Amino acid sequence: MEHQRCYIYEPQDTDERPAKRQRTSKTDSKGPQSERLATFRQLWHQQEKRIQASLDEVDKATQDQLVQFVSEAPTTSAACIPTGLVIAGPSIASHGPFFEHLGRRITDETDCTHVVLTGSESPNLKTLLKNLITKITSRTEEDDDLEIATTTRSGGPKLLNFDLAHVHRWQSKGRVKSIVVTIRDSEAFDSNVLVEMIDLFHSWLDRLPFVLLFGISTSAESFEDRLSGKSLRQLDGQKFDVTQSDEIVEKLFRATTASTEVQLQMGPNLMRRILDRQKDHVQNIQDYSDGIKYASMSHFFANHTSIFLQPDLSFRALDAHAFEAVRNLPSFRRRAEEMLDEGSTQEVRNMLDSDQFLFDLIIEEIRQGQQALHALNGAAVVLADIRRFLQMSPSVPLSSIWIRAASGELIGSPLLRETMLSIRKIPSNKLAQLLLALRGDSAITNYVDLTTYEDQLVELINSTDTTEPLRSQHDVRNESMRTTVVAQKVLLSKHKAALSEQDKAYSELIGNFHDNLERYFAEAFIDPRALFLSEILIYDLKSPHADAFQPRPRFAIERALASPQDYLGSESCGVDSDEGALSISQPATALVYQLYLESGPLINISDLWTAFSSMCGQEGNDGESKTMALFQRALAELKLLGLLKPTKKKTDHVAKMMWKGL
Amino acid sequence: MPHAIVNSCECINGRHLLEQTVAACLDALDDGVVEKIDRRPYARTENLSALAVALQRMLQDWGRAKFVLVFDGIDGQREAPPTLLPALARFGETIPNLCIILITTLPVALMLRKPGTPHLHFSPYDRNSLLAILGLNPPKIFLTPPNEEQFPDYTPDLAAEDDAWLWNRFLAAVWDSLSKHTGRDLTSFRNTALRTWRPFVQPVVDGTFGTRDFSRLMVNRRHLFQLEDSVLDKIIAQPIANGTAVNGAPPTPSTKLIAMKKTIAHDLPYYTTHLLIAAYLASYNPSRTDTTYFMKHTDKRKNKRKVFQNGLSSKSKHRRIPRHLLTPSPFPLDRLLAIFRSLLEDHVPQVADLYTQIATLTSMRLLVRVGGVGSTDPLDAGSKWRVNFGWEWVRTLGRGVGIEVGEYLVGGVDG
Repeated sequence: MEHQRCYIYEPQDTDERPAKRQRTSKTDSKGPQSERLATFRQLWHQQEKRIQASLDEVDKATQDQLVQFVSEAPTTSAACIPTGLVIAGPSIASHGPFFEHLGRRITDETDCTHVVLTGSESPNLKTLLKNLITKITSRTEEDDDLEIATTTRSGGPKLLNFDLAHVHRWQSKGRVKSIVVTIRDSEAFDSNVLVEMIDLFHSWLDRLPFVLLFGISTSAESFEDRLSGKSLRQLDGQKFDVTQSDEIVEKLFRATTASTEVQLQMGPNLMRRILDRQKDHVQNIQDYSDGIKYASMSHFFANHTSIFLQPDLSFRALDAHAFEAVRNLPSFRRRAEEMLDEGSTQEVRNMLDSDQFLFDLIIEEIRQGQQALHALNGAAVVLADIRRFLQMSPSVPLSSIWIRAASGELIGSPLLRETMLSIRKIPSNKLAQLLLALRGDSAITNYVDLTTYEDQLVELINSTDTTEPLRSQHDVRNESMRTTVVAQKVLLSKHKAALSEQDKAYSELIGNFHDNLERYFAEAFIDPRALFLSEILIYDLKSPHADAFQPRPRFAIERALASPQDYLGSESCGVDSDEGALSISQPATALVYQLYLESGPLINISDLWTAFSSMCGQEGNDGESKTMALFQRALAELKLLGLLKPTKKKTDHVAKMMWKGL
Repeated sequence: MPHAIVNSCECINGRHLLEQTVAACLDALDDGVVEKIDRRPYARTENLSALAVALQRMLQDWGRAKFVLVFDGIDGQREAPPTLLPALARFGETIPNLCIILITTLPVALMLRKPGTPHLHFSPYDRNSLLAILGLNPPKIFLTPPNEEQFPDYTPDLAAEDDAWLWNRFLAAVWDSLSKHTGRDLTSFRNTALRTWRPFVQPVVDGTFGTRDFSRLMVNRRHLFQLEDSVLDKIIAQPIANGTAVNGAPPTPSTKLIAMKKTIAHDLPYYTTHLLIAAYLASYNPSRTDTTYFMKHTDKRKNKRKVFQNGLSSKSKHRRIPRHLLTPSPFPLDRLLAIFRSLLEDHVPQVADLYTQIATLTSMRLLVRVGGVGSTDPLDAGSKWRVNFGWEWVRTLGRGVGIEVGEYLVGGVDG
């Protein structure tokens, strides 16, 4: 066939059905899916607003300072360029939105123009200046462009396109008070470029009012180390700290997951994964909100019953499949069995037979379930607030309290007990502050009547004449240790000091408050997974999230080579039950790879070939050449994957480049 | 005298310099003349010959006296053509009425290739002239004038006299203790003096000493002249420590360490910290010692070395430079990952996040890819890496996660 230049493909005429079966029944129509999509969009829109609001609030303080710094910067006749060093932290991905937002605020609130330069678009000084000039001068309106065209028409020496005189000409019309140039990722810039840029800006400073902002991800000191003394003398600046990203994550968590308005609850396992990843690997706010978004998307995409989360759902909009899906949920079965045990058979029959009955039940149950979940969230927030207010020693963030609460582990846990114990000990002045601080939480005010306690407390304090705060009977100051020696043994006994009348009354008050709070917590901290229809209300699946956000590329390749039967199926790789055994039916590359794993950093090719051919050498005339072809191909594939490399250290050897499991 | 000044600092390359020169000359010649020069022939100036022609054309009809062309900082011109200086030096021979002045920081007589160029040397200021120059403008002792009712006879004239008296004495002290040894030029001297001035006169403002108690002030504020803080150039003007005034002792290393800890503004994530420590160890330990330090199956505690005490190391015959003072050596990526895994007690899954972090650290320039044959390929396993941070930083980093990096470092670290 080698002499032929082209080939004609002639498919065989067969009347047989194609191997892949066609779908004949119309099971999954687009209708409910698009409705679920709409529901998702609606819910996510609210969530996104909450995220954006808390992010704005977080950055507001720093951005206020920066805007003030820019607006107060001296315009001309300064000896140094006003410089802001923005320590934006190691999460590089969040620098972009931060500076974008900042730029918008600077242009809106002050009379300055704002330009962002990144390291990738500024490999040298010339390109940097070209970009800078285009960005600054393109901010003008259309009629200004005409003016520029007329000025350059006169035919004299033209300005080169990296000449700052362009900016000067633009600025000479009295446009802005100062030109703010932001170096977004100062680490990515070449030091020489930075030094030359500062030098140039400094020499133009008498004509162009520059203000520099540097985004720094390491520290101001390491930034200063990169510049020359001359450049340092030409800059005069302030340091601005951006909020640490773990605090931001904590705030976002409070606004999104632990909020009392959230419709779809994230499960504790999923949140633990997301938060652990934030702590261990990346510190990136975008990733966090992406994770939550992806989880909601997965819920609404794959779960047919999620349509019931749609607000104002009408019975007619649903098809029978939705109800069928609900009847197959584990929590539905559990509920049905419980009801059968109770003997209410008619209702179970109704639930199974009547769609309308089930619909009403679902709507009601979802409302109740959401209330229970909101109460849980609120209680977790209250607990975290109390702990923070009392400054209890291992400071546990809200996220971990919430995760424990949502897994149903908080009731009876040492954490809760310890908090309740310290509540019984607090003196009256702190209790008043605590009540005041808790008043903002709507979750607790609905349940515990804080105002009565406040009134009682005020009354009690007014009736005392001392300024000393009242102390409860559990306060350590009302206890003293007593040692007695009886028969040459030391006995320690606690002794309670006599309480005054007011202190007794206060002890009673705080005892009531404590009991009330305890009841509240006991009622709020349920196990959410035991709720009826918890499959609709809570999303807590690990697998699509882990695959989407934490892929394991190297592990996948190594696994495919080391145990190909995992991917190819056991038929094509021999039916060996023995894990890791070499079998001839495995692909040649996998065989060579397994031999490769057993060798040291330098591999003798001849030895490798001997081992390979002894394992799957073929008989016959051209057996050896066939085996050699397989061997060569396997080596080439390993080389392509970057596992092998030719070496000059030793003849007939190749170097091993990668070790398994790293 | 008609003249044009070209500042080399503002010219990005040689061509830019030529264009600027022509533009500046045209502007200067147009200045004060009713009849403007037709600029069309001067649209482009690509090289030195074009500049020569342009200048000739400009000046040939110009019957007046000399035209002076000044090049400021010409020796620092970026991307200058090699013939720039010799050509400029000979412009005067071919073009009438042109006088060129080159302002340079270093003598360039040899580079001009022209004997007999007259030159003027500005010698650096000596001590007396520096003191005289800076003494002309004394800063104020009292930023806000003292209460008039309380001190009615302290007039502004008297205050100015006090300022000048104290400032001049102070300048001499700063010169002799600090600037003589660090920066003898006017700028550094002025910066140092201005930085030290406020903390120096603080007791006077507080009312502890009178304005003329110079010797007592010197004794009280002697730490200002013992530390190097005021000499260093910083972007952020840091207030010089006042706290040491109580005992007069300079800050100990431990207080410096505390100050240094504060500079790491943002905590790195747990695994990122370990990656950085592993990278540091991979850069500074020779790879043959890895089996001793990082093998899992031997008892780990035996491999940790005692941190060297001062004095012990001086016993050895060969005095070696400690490894952490040398430049870091390159290492392959797999070695970094292997050390990373051995530093951590528990298992880390092989997730892509690890590689993301390495990429992040690279863009933060904490890790640097070392140039080489295959270094353009980001997926090449054989490419080498290097760390780009120092010992002090990694030590604080390690203490943050409970690893004493010195115990894993070959050769140990003094102090």
